[in-house]
Amino acid sequence: MNLKQSMLIAIVLSLLSLVAWECYWRAQGKIPDLDDNKDLWAVQRAKVEHLSEKGVVLMGSSRVLFDIQLDEWETETGIRPIQLASAGASPLPIFHDIVNNTDFKGTIVVGVTPGLFFSTTYPKAGPWKRAQSRVDYYKNRTYAQRLNHKLSLPLQKNLALVSTSEEGWSDDIDLKSLLNTINLKNRTGKPQFPPFYTFAYIEEDRNNPMSEKTATDTTFANSIKSVWKFIIMSNNNPPEKEATTNFFVADAKKFMERGGNLILVRCPSSGWIKGGEDKFLSRADLWDPLVKATNANAYYFEDYDQFKNLECPEWSHLSAPDARYFTTELVKIMKADGVISNTKTN
Amino acid sequence: MLFNSLSFIVFLVIVLALYYSKIFKWTGKKRMLLLASYVFYGLWNPPLVILLWISTVVDWTAGNKLAIETNVKKRKMWLLLSMFVNLGFLAFFKYGNFLLENFTLGMNTLGLAYEPKPMDIILPMGISFYTFQTMSYTIDMYNKKIKPARTFLDFALYVTFFPQLVAGPIVRAKDLITQFYEEKKATTQQFIWGTFLLTIGLFQKVVLADTILADVSDQVFGSEDILHSLDAWTGTLAFSGQIFFDFAGYSTCAIGIALMLGIILPDNFRYPYASIGFSDLWKRWHISLSTWLKDYLYIPLGGNRNGLTRMYVALMLTMLLGGLWHGAAWTFVIWGALHGVYLVIERLLKTKINIKINAFNGVLLALLTYTLVNFTWVFFRAREFSTAKNMISSMLFMNPEGSKILHGFDIIRVLTLIVLLFICHWCMRNTSMKEVSKKTHPLILGVVWGILLFLISIAQGSGEQFIYFQF
Repeated sequence: MNLKQSMLIAIVLSLLSLVAWECYWRAQGKIPDLDDNKDLWAVQRAKVEHLSEKGVVLMGSSRVLFDIQLDEWETETGIRPIQLASAGASPLPIFHDIVNNTDFKGTIVVGVTPGLFFSTTYPKAGPWKRAQSRVDYYKNRTYAQRLNHKLSLPLQKNLALVSTSEEGWSDDIDLKSLLNTINLKNRTGKPQFPPFYTFAYIEEDRNNPMSEKTATDTTFANSIKSVWKFIIMSNNNPPEKEATTNFFVADAKKFMERGGNLILVRCPSSGWIKGGEDKFLSRADLWDPLVKATNANAYYFEDYDQFKNLECPEWSHLSAPDARYFTTELVKIMKADGVISNTKTN
Repeated sequence: MLFNSLSFIVFLVIVLALYYSKIFKWTGKKRMLLLASYVFYGLWNPPLVILLWISTVVDWTAGNKLAIETNVKKRKMWLLLSMFVNLGFLAFFKYGNFLLENFTLGMNTLGLAYEPKPMDIILPMGISFYTFQTMSYTIDMYNKKIKPARTFLDFALYVTFFPQLVAGPIVRAKDLITQFYEEKKATTQQFIWGTFLLTIGLFQKVVLADTILADVSDQVFGSEDILHSLDAWTGTLAFSGQIFFDFAGYSTCAIGIALMLGIILPDNFRYPYASIGFSDLWKRWHISLSTWLKDYLYIPLGGNRNGLTRMYVALMLTMLLGGLWHGAAWTFVIWGALHGVYLVIERLLKTKINIKINAFNGVLLALLTYTLVNFTWVFFRAREFSTAKNMISSMLFMNPEGSKILHGFDIIRVLTLIVLLFICHWCMRNTSMKEVSKKTHPLILGVVWGILLFLISIAQGSGEQFIYFQF
């Protein structure tokens, strides 16, 4: 048994295969990117622990994640916000965590995507569980997990082949995802979830602009639209207006009583989703009572001429240039209202 | 820290560099290994290292006292102290909630309204493993089977040696402590073979268990529907493969890592799914636990020395407690009970039927054994009895209208892998990986090794914990 020879062959062969694998996927258009996983979120959450009163924390669902761009916010105010919004999740568990487990009394911007904000307070329901699992992970993460995350960042940033994701995107190229792309005849008799491709590039501080492809390639944008349709059409649960509003208002009051600045934002939507939201999750029925009950500063995109004509390429999120515009204009409005200040000039 | 994580790669490189550097003499290297082992454990939950320290100090003290004490009563007291501390930790951390739940249930059955809050107890990783390991030292000392460890450092390293700390193999003092007495250094062949074993172990865990089998098993056992037979069988077979690759993968990694340091750990698995009968199975599955249970439970309970009935009682008790060792739930007790019943039936049959095993009936009997093992896995994996009941009825073809939840390709990939697993175990039944490797051309071995490395790299995984860490 000549193990030395075998090991040498194994090392050379595996390295060559990995180089070829990397080149192949780059040639297919895959580029290195970060995964918006619980570790990335937890690092941002940890920053809130020692945040001063001048600090700004963003939370909500994916619309806040896509539509509020950190660079523009920082340019306008001198403060770089902490992005805690979580895609597909209710912001309530995260807001509850910040209010009850920290002393933070700066500014919190909460994005209100009606289909998620008012969805549920049931701990096992998807929108709640997705957010709560991140809060729990932050509390329970081990030192080994923190170290693994730190070590994985340079690999994620530099290698396209490092592509496993918590969300399980259809264009992930880890072995499990590739195996999952093989489809035979559907024997379950149930409609299949359409392919869901990643449509943003998240940065280390969770700044998350939409990918250019989503904004410019209509076919690709349509694939995302079909996912929204599938998710919305398969959800038969009515909004839990009272329970969610009461839960949030209790935390909002606690936060504002200790001097916190709470801002509610309704980000743009368009097309089929906007139509559905207007019909089934209307402003008058959900947003207005929430604003009244919390007495917080509130911004609804349709109230401003600047935002009325913004179109979301896949009905729910703004393209990167539009998100930059939206952020800049929104901050200007907030500053004009005296809701937030500019530390650069103060 | 998990073997299948980036932090472990960095950790291992640092440990190996220090171990083979000329900075330390042998005692210094052992100190470094001990410290590294505490870091390895502490990176998960630092305060729980204290439990390891307490176990170490108590058993070191008890062992030393037992070495010199001649008074029978006092010797018993030292043994009981060690058992009290070790089993006490186990009872509190692992079985605290289970005991409370059952106590509450008992009170409520008697009509007494009692609703305690569940205790928020963290289960220390690998507590069952290191507890059994330290207890074996004290019990062997009590029975005068071994000499006491020469130094506290040797003993502390025996309790805490990082490759096998959290999921075994459960190593006996005579097999491991003595290896720490003389300077150990892996030969080049040992080091490379250790690296190969580490690759095999990671491949089993990351690629076979986590990438190919885990999702199907989770989907089936997480379903609230009554399932179609094919789905129930696929889910159970997937779990049978997942738990083997997960646990055998861990053991193979542990053995490989220790070998890279020049330390030899015993085999924990010998192709168990090719077992012919259940006595054979327990000589091949989690060998270090089954021999522990045999030596420290079954034999002290009388073993086969007091007649057939007492032997069957001892066997059943051993398997019931073996089940409970795995987890604080009645489903684990049923899993152990089923294995006990299988063993009793096998022994009864052996007194009446004498079969000469050949290749043909051997395969059939191995298949029968594997099929029966799968029924036990249902109880091992299901969190609720209702799930287990539904699964068993589906596996017995009693639910022809059951839900089909798995996709065609999921079924194909699980069944293909399980068939290959069974064939591989059957072919390897009477040999070992080392023997086969010796007969394999270095080029072929290198190519296979390279493919495994490539598949591990592209599988990546999300750092899934090993199943046995919870036990």
